[in-house]
Amino acid sequence: MSLLARLQARVRLQPGAEALVSGTQRMSYGELWEAISRVADGLRGAGVVPGARVGLLLENSPEYVACYYGVHGAGGVVVALNPAARAPEIAGHLRHCGAALLVITPTHPQREAIAETLPDCPLITPELLLGADAHALRCTEPAPDTPAAIIYTSGTTGCPKGVTLSHRNLDSNVQSILAYLGLTTEDAIVNVLPFHYSYGNSVLHTHLAAGARVVLDRSMVYPHGVLEAMASERATGFSGVPSTYAVLLSRTRITDHDLSSVRYLTQAGGAMAPELTRRVRAALPHARLFVMYGQTEATARLAYLPPEHLEEKLGAVGIAIPGVQLDIRDEHGGAVADGVTGEIWARGENIMLGYWNDAAASREVMEHGWLKTGDLAHRDRDGYIYIDGRRSEMIKCGAHRISPLEIEEVITEIPGVEDVACTGIPDELLGQVVKAVIVPRAGWAVTTMDVQRHCRDRLPAYKVPRCVEFAATLPRTASGKVKRFLLNDGGQMQGERDVSTRPEYASR
Amino acid sequence: MSVESSVRQFLLSNYLFTDRDEALGNDDSLLQKGIVDSTGMMELIYFLEEQFGIRILDEEMVPENLDSVNNIVRFLGRKAAASGNQAIG
Repeated sequence: MSLLARLQARVRLQPGAEALVSGTQRMSYGELWEAISRVADGLRGAGVVPGARVGLLLENSPEYVACYYGVHGAGGVVVALNPAARAPEIAGHLRHCGAALLVITPTHPQREAIAETLPDCPLITPELLLGADAHALRCTEPAPDTPAAIIYTSGTTGCPKGVTLSHRNLDSNVQSILAYLGLTTEDAIVNVLPFHYSYGNSVLHTHLAAGARVVLDRSMVYPHGVLEAMASERATGFSGVPSTYAVLLSRTRITDHDLSSVRYLTQAGGAMAPELTRRVRAALPHARLFVMYGQTEATARLAYLPPEHLEEKLGAVGIAIPGVQLDIRDEHGGAVADGVTGEIWARGENIMLGYWNDAAASREVMEHGWLKTGDLAHRDRDGYIYIDGRRSEMIKCGAHRISPLEIEEVITEIPGVEDVACTGIPDELLGQVVKAVIVPRAGWAVTTMDVQRHCRDRLPAYKVPRCVEFAATLPRTASGKVKRFLLNDGGQMQGERDVSTRPEYASR
Repeated sequence: MSVESSVRQFLLSNYLFTDRDEALGNDDSLLQKGIVDSTGMMELIYFLEEQFGIRILDEEMVPENLDSVNNIVRFLGRKAAASGNQAIG
């Protein structure tokens, strides 16, 4: 069954129940379905045929949700992109997947630049689609193994990686998550996670499939507002990455708000320090905290730690979710004993079809139906999995995954830069932030601000290096590959942030 | 240095990485223009607290107080008036 068919079943059961809340706007399941029908009609009218890729460049909003499901209603493939990205990255991804059109708001700051770069990709506003005639949506069940969505995980100009998820992938992961979270029509979540990433995507679809209410809060910029929304909406759930919880605990007085309705919290998107986990538990002792682990390549979720074992297995990411098999294997693909570190391999109906139009990259991570996650871990004797490290060099900054390559590409454009390598350095709030080590060309003066300003012009803010260091050479292997792990050994570095001196992070 | 130029300088050098004054309008929305994200807002708060010796309460962290240079300047003015602190404004 597809997500769209599940949503339609919900609409028949509870057309008047609230599906989405955004500011003062409240949208019922019936109204959402009507909006979806309009979008699907509008997209068909604009020439979208089954299998066509449709770009969405929208902030979390009822329009985003109507467009996502509307694309499926028209038989298309959703390509939801980061609205904070710059035109070259957006255009690069749209070109890479051969998008038939892009849904974009009229006021998007990159609109003109995208139109100029991609003259053959029509831009259409959500308002136009939502104004289309609403015929009853002809909901044709898509073939389960056809693409439903592409999520880009990295790459600006170099090699974009488009994780291609089928209708079966999306639905099977939703069903697995529903099985352990036990969501019902009585649930309501305040969501701050961006829907264009796999975690937010998963929060949206699981709650709609369960007939729950999703309250959209734009972001954690104003954490006090998030808590107010949770109290006034009598929210039962909340999902965050470690930095979401760090911000909530450091900048708000949780106990000032009536959060007695909250029954579950979920955390994914990188390891949360056990100390922060304890503080979250202490702040909301009545809520069950689900520590989870996953990957975009696995739709979203692979493992979860049952809350009743949280204290006993603190630091673990738990056990495989229903329908998923997890193995720990050595470098030759053989099983390792309990307690021995190896790579996590995963199998299940949630494993992606592959990377869009990149058979070689797909072959690197998929073997006989297994996904090689690149995450290093061991299993204890009870079968609980503990992450030990990451084979991949992706930088995990807040909810974002950043490829060092894409920042290096951008910095290389700066005159006077001979060589550059980027890595993630620890940051108390965000997990990691970007550090760039630059080898200047002889006779050129390159400053930290030059580098940051150039990156700011070309990249979203979270990809701008927080720390820039200059060196005479980069550490390389015999084959010339940069040893990124050695870039962290620079000692006291210019521009490094030290949040430990801020009392707000230490207590409260 | 006036409150306004001090706030502007912080935003320009930390988020726009420039000393070009015209890069930031006093009524530009920091959030909508993508100048600060949630981490940037935390850093802005710490900067204001340290620079002006004030304590920003949770309930004061709202767009009306913080989403533009003008909003911040007005907010700091109100804080100063409330506390009688002549150092601000």
